[in-house]
Amino acid sequence: MLGLLVGADAFAQPADEPTPAPTEPAPDEAAPAKLIEVTGRVIDKLGRPIRGAKVSYEGSDQTATSDKGGRFRIKAPLGVTVTVEKDGMEVGLANVVGPTIDEVVLLELDTTGEKIEISGEAPVEAPGAAVIDRSELQRVPGTGGDVVKALSAMPGVVNQQLPLGYSGVVIRGSSPQDSKVLVDDFEIPVLFHNIGFRAILPAESIETLEYIPGGFDVGYGRASSGIIQLTTRPGDDKATEQAEISVIDGGLLVQGRAGKTRYMFGFRRSLIDLILPSIIPASVDLSLTTVPSYYDEQFRIDHQLDAHWALTLSSVGTIDTFELYATKDTDAKTKRFFNRTAFARLTAAAKYHEGPWSVNLALSGLLPQFIFEIGEFQKIDVTQPTVTPRAEVIHTDKEALGLKNVEWKLGAEAQVGRSSLELALPHEQREGENMGAYDPRDVTETFKGHYWLPDFAQWGSIAANLDDRIRFTGGLRLDEMERNEKLAIQPRGKLEVKVTPTVIARLTAGAFRRPPEYQSEGLYSTLDFERSTQTILGLQYEPREGTRVQASAYYTDRSNLVVTEADGSLGNDGRGRTVGAELLATYRGGPWFGWLSYSYSHSTRVDHPGDPERLFTYDQPHSLNAALSWKHGKWQLGARFQLYSGLPYTPVKAAVFDSDRNLYIPIYDETNSARAPLHHQLDIRIDRSWKLGAVDLTWFLDVQNVYMNESVVGYFYGYDYTQSAAFKSLPIIPSIGVRGVL
Amino acid sequence: MKYLPLLFLAGCLGDIDPEWQLDHTRIIAVRATPPHIPAGATSQLDLLTAAKGATTAQLAPDATIVVSPMSLASAVSGSTITAPSEDQLAAARTELGLMPGVPVPLQLGVASGSLAATKIVWLGDAVDNPVLTNVVIGGAAAPAAGAMITVPPDTDVHMSVDADDSVMLVDWLTSCGTMHDFDLHASYIHVETDDPQTGELALLLRDPRTGGVTWEVWPIAAQ
Repeated sequence: MLGLLVGADAFAQPADEPTPAPTEPAPDEAAPAKLIEVTGRVIDKLGRPIRGAKVSYEGSDQTATSDKGGRFRIKAPLGVTVTVEKDGMEVGLANVVGPTIDEVVLLELDTTGEKIEISGEAPVEAPGAAVIDRSELQRVPGTGGDVVKALSAMPGVVNQQLPLGYSGVVIRGSSPQDSKVLVDDFEIPVLFHNIGFRAILPAESIETLEYIPGGFDVGYGRASSGIIQLTTRPGDDKATEQAEISVIDGGLLVQGRAGKTRYMFGFRRSLIDLILPSIIPASVDLSLTTVPSYYDEQFRIDHQLDAHWALTLSSVGTIDTFELYATKDTDAKTKRFFNRTAFARLTAAAKYHEGPWSVNLALSGLLPQFIFEIGEFQKIDVTQPTVTPRAEVIHTDKEALGLKNVEWKLGAEAQVGRSSLELALPHEQREGENMGAYDPRDVTETFKGHYWLPDFAQWGSIAANLDDRIRFTGGLRLDEMERNEKLAIQPRGKLEVKVTPTVIARLTAGAFRRPPEYQSEGLYSTLDFERSTQTILGLQYEPREGTRVQASAYYTDRSNLVVTEADGSLGNDGRGRTVGAELLATYRGGPWFGWLSYSYSHSTRVDHPGDPERLFTYDQPHSLNAALSWKHGKWQLGARFQLYSGLPYTPVKAAVFDSDRNLYIPIYDETNSARAPLHHQLDIRIDRSWKLGAVDLTWFLDVQNVYMNESVVGYFYGYDYTQSAAFKSLPIIPSIGVRGVL
Repeated sequence: MKYLPLLFLAGCLGDIDPEWQLDHTRIIAVRATPPHIPAGATSQLDLLTAAKGATTAQLAPDATIVVSPMSLASAVSGSTITAPSEDQLAAARTELGLMPGVPVPLQLGVASGSLAATKIVWLGDAVDNPVLTNVVIGGAAAPAAGAMITVPPDTDVHMSVDADDSVMLVDWLTSCGTMHDFDLHASYIHVETDDPQTGELALLLRDPRTGGVTWEVWPIAAQ
């Protein structure tokens, strides 16, 4: 989605340096050109400096080698193309258009079959965005090696002990459905499993996690808050087979390369279901007729067709199932709970690159199924097969329209789904709404039928250097919901200013829209897009090698939020706003990996015109994460400290007994007028590797909440609301596992 | 909703009294006898209440008011409900947007001390409360209401009543031991040595289609 490769000097050519005139003869056509001293920097895709890269250019014996900070200095004539080479990395190219070639991005040979051609801008980053790779994800203590759990360390992500739902990520004061989780550029409907709070993707099958909390490119859409992009792992040059097992699950992964084709196949199965029945006390009125279990699959095949075309076929899928009875009597259908959550996504992508042209083509299909049955009366059974073709064309020009380093981008996609839904449930509780009395016979919301959801999008953008230090990106995205006959026009812009060689300031502003297709929203063909307008100002400071400090402040205005109207239907009457600030400091040096993030946020909602402003249900004013990991020889040690505010909740003031339905109707205080207390915990992780014959083995011990701080997560009430109890955070959670790589 | 099974698995119910616990102050049920009355007929209200540290009580409400429709506010006198004339019922149907001939729901607010409840009495037709049939406790027919039931300690004592769980609402409540499957027609009680060895056992049967309810209460002891 972010385009192919590229990475070069977006801020080259200081204004006070002579600029070669367009009519000036090329160096190879003229007398020997004057050599100037050119400096630059070689980095990887995560922005880390690459030491020892060889820099040269054709027709000269001038060479240079990048230092530990990735910096190099070479004498070269204007207009020449320098080549940057490093073992294990793709070759990088950069045009000398001035005395500075800042950042030449080299991709690892095993990360993609794409070539690097340096002619456009540096990789796009929004203020507050971050990218971490697999090895770093696995080093974050307290995650049990789970990639998506590492998201809780990101500034702006609401942190709590339990995941918030299937999509599960609350970013910058927005509802989970406002942000999208993408795998290889396409959305997945489920992020967590029902049990174990595990992500559906094991760390070993992921290459990178890119976190964009807001202000994202026009190529991303259907989200009004943030984007989480997971990229599956392509096969390495060296083929391996590996297995990993822990108390939660176990998996196998095979990857490697055969000629021009790279492959990765992964499979994982839960193991906790094998021990769960034995740890439930016999006195509990429970029958696990289908023990909660899950299966995950991932594969990715990359094929380099020729010098210009790269093909990829990838898939992720999962299935979660459980059936239980809240009694030992399995004939008691009123006590039955059944769930099956499954999806499979298959994506075929073709990427073309030649000279200034890049083309991304993709066709992705999604087959999701969600069934939840509660007792004899309530159920939801939904399938929504969806097909998404997408095309994007990128063209770069050194100069155009009087601007330099120009990049044009045009794209379009269609997302066509057909939903088959059988629904018999109580009224859906939306964000900010209080839970009513639970009546297992309440089927206020009923529907049985099919409907189509054809959505279309087009986008275009232009990015260019306004001068040697300032780069502007402007774009427009159009999203259309054919069924609801609604069009969303989303202009977005970004300004990057290189304040000093180590400081970059970024300002983004734009419109972002989410189609109302989440859960019961799909039943209403009159709903409009939910809207957000984001303004983000960020500073990035890199004082030394491997050290990066990012600070950002943002304001998000929300409107057209989907809320329940007085008649029980859904409408677009809600409004909201979020203001916040974030800090992220990372250090990667030698054996050390450090991470410090802090976020402040204040998020409010007004449900209907004239209603009082209230706190957003996931409003979390303070969140601090500090992690440090040290690797030496066969040992890796890490610790992480978390400190974050509790979430708001609405206390119950009283309740009235409904004698006919035999239940109590709660009377609530003002919405979200109370807050759970602050939580803090310390997590540690120890990894130890050794060799057993041809097998590289690593065992790990990951312990969450080592000093067993049991904070209150929330409160729940008894059946008549006269008694309440605190739902406390889980005590110490040890996770142990072993991984073997052959 | 998602976490309901998790709460079951985690046993996270803390020190909150379970719903079957009879040693807990509350209104257990409001009964109208009968729950549906034709024009001009009367129905009598009574309550079954429980109190912490005390036995259950069957008593008339301290106060009863009409919540809806207010045009029928005069139908209540003390704990007696009198269905108005057909003409008044027809007017009430119009007010509530009901089809002609259907029973009119008279929603009542009922108070007993500091406790409150709502109850609907249906006006315009005649339906009686359900009847407890074939109540079996510990393999034997249940004794008459008020007669002592003795159960062995540390033993699952099974109980049942004729009822379809998918239609009727059953409640087995006790202040002696632990009740399992309290809301199924077939339940069982288990009294351990550290449980209260004496108390009460109550059985309630509700018909949510008609608003009818009936109950029986027995003293119970583990011996």
